[in-house]
Amino acid sequence: MNPYLCVFRMGIEKALEYRTGFVLSMASAAFPILIQTTMWNYLYANGDAARIMGYSHGQILIYTLLATLVSQLVSAGFEWEVNSDIKNGGLNKYLVRPVAYRKYCLLSVMGQKVPRFFVVGPAMAFVIGFGVWILHLPLSAVRIAVFLGSLFLAFVLNFFLFYCVALLGFWLTDVDKLFGTVSIVLTVLSGGVFPMDIFGSTLTGLFRLLPFGYTTQFCVNIANGRYGWEQIGRGVVCQIFWIAFMAALERILWRQGLKRYAAVGG
Amino acid sequence: MSMILVEHLRKEFSYYRKATGLKGSLHNLFRREALVKEAVRDVSFSVEKGEMIALLGPNGAGKTTTLKMLSGILYPTAGKVEVGGFIPWERKDAFKRRISIVMGQKNQLWWDLPASDSFYLNKCIFGVEDSVYRQVVEELADLLDVRELMNVQVRRLSLGERMKMEILAALIHRPEILFLDEPTIGLDILSQQRIREFLKEYNEKSQTTVILTSHNMADVKALCRRAVIINQGQLVYDGSLSDVNRVLGDRRLLSVKLSEPVKAESLRRFGRVREQEETRAVLELSGSRVRETIGAMFAELPVEDFTVTEVPLEESISIFYRKEAAMP
Repeated sequence: MNPYLCVFRMGIEKALEYRTGFVLSMASAAFPILIQTTMWNYLYANGDAARIMGYSHGQILIYTLLATLVSQLVSAGFEWEVNSDIKNGGLNKYLVRPVAYRKYCLLSVMGQKVPRFFVVGPAMAFVIGFGVWILHLPLSAVRIAVFLGSLFLAFVLNFFLFYCVALLGFWLTDVDKLFGTVSIVLTVLSGGVFPMDIFGSTLTGLFRLLPFGYTTQFCVNIANGRYGWEQIGRGVVCQIFWIAFMAALERILWRQGLKRYAAVGG
Repeated sequence: MSMILVEHLRKEFSYYRKATGLKGSLHNLFRREALVKEAVRDVSFSVEKGEMIALLGPNGAGKTTTLKMLSGILYPTAGKVEVGGFIPWERKDAFKRRISIVMGQKNQLWWDLPASDSFYLNKCIFGVEDSVYRQVVEELADLLDVRELMNVQVRRLSLGERMKMEILAALIHRPEILFLDEPTIGLDILSQQRIREFLKEYNEKSQTTVILTSHNMADVKALCRRAVIINQGQLVYDGSLSDVNRVLGDRRLLSVKLSEPVKAESLRRFGRVREQEETRAVLELSGSRVRETIGAMFAELPVEDFTVTEVPLEESISIFYRKEAAMP
């Protein structure tokens, strides 16, 4: 078996090992949905939110639900491990074996996402189906396929974003203190909490130049039919560009960082 | 040709010093004094194929740092190293397939899964054929007596059991060169003994070249004929274990049983009195003086019985640990 396929399989096994933890992590996703739904219901019932936001009440609820579910699938969460490997000498075991660390991490995290996909996937299908029924979303088999493809690219892009942040651990011993902040900021900038196009066309144009929106908002806007095929095509090219960019940046950080690696601990 | 060749190896680390307490922390927040520690200073030695040597030294001597450079984990500051014909820090896959390192204080297995999964992963990483893999695992699992534990989550294993699994995982690809960094640390006597027996048998069978670091002299005595001792990053001894005592003046311990107590002064004439109680005494003297001393003692003291032994290895080695100069 290909070693990375084996790592992928072990990632699945690892995710299935702790059933309670898995259920709790899924349940914890329900809280932001509950809070946001309540907030949007209040705002739309007591103001002119629809005009300001450019989203109808139904559209914003579908967006919020889909964005939360997409975030569950593309979220990182492995950055602590990478940082700990750098800080405490755990990298040693990878450096002495003929494996590429980033590929190893990517496939391991990907494997750990598989069980989650089988829970989040049906929930996502339900939300999209609900949107088609209530909001008459323009859904087709091609759009679903493109949405799933964009989800995969979004996962890889998000992986590299957080991997690069984690590699800063070669220079900053306490980079893990940053992870919480980076995670919140990136979740917001990616459109994981609310759509970033509510800030008007200038800021929306700016956000389009950054990689973050391509990890969540872009995928959601494919599923909810907000993007036409031209925008989707441009978005996929941007996703691929940012993945290539972050992967190249990661190479530089890794090479330079390894020269500073102290392999602490006996 | 040597399997491992180390010439003038050096490694420097930079670090910061911090005074105790909050004041020190605040001071460091604004101004840090960068210091450089020479962990390894001009170390040279070589190891032949199939040889099993002990790399010894007190805590912080530079043993583990040396092993990390030999296995390609760390870049050296200066010096030349060849391991199996490769420069370790170039980290070529062909080099990695020939070596393995076991660190007693580091976990290389997947913590949340049974060790058998990690074994299989190593099989895939090193491209070991199915039949060879099955044979190696069965053979090693029997030798280490862990067959029943291979399907238990690693985190649920005892330290000794985990260590055996670490060793097994490190040997799946049958490395030609093995680095063992304190493989018996924290283990009970029985587990230590089992691992020692296993390593001895494995080395004899496979002719693997091994460098072992350990603070446990029982490991060293059981497994190695040769020791390389470093202290404060410098080589202070490279030679046979049996010669360690000779290099330090070939000291012997003469234990005597007397028929009646004698004064300490009467004993001091024959050597350094290390112990004396009632009719028993232990004297330390040079190996070259043993014969004449015994003769003189029999003539002058009421000696009933005597035994002559070498100074314990631990004691001789500890002298090297205290030395600051280069090789005696």
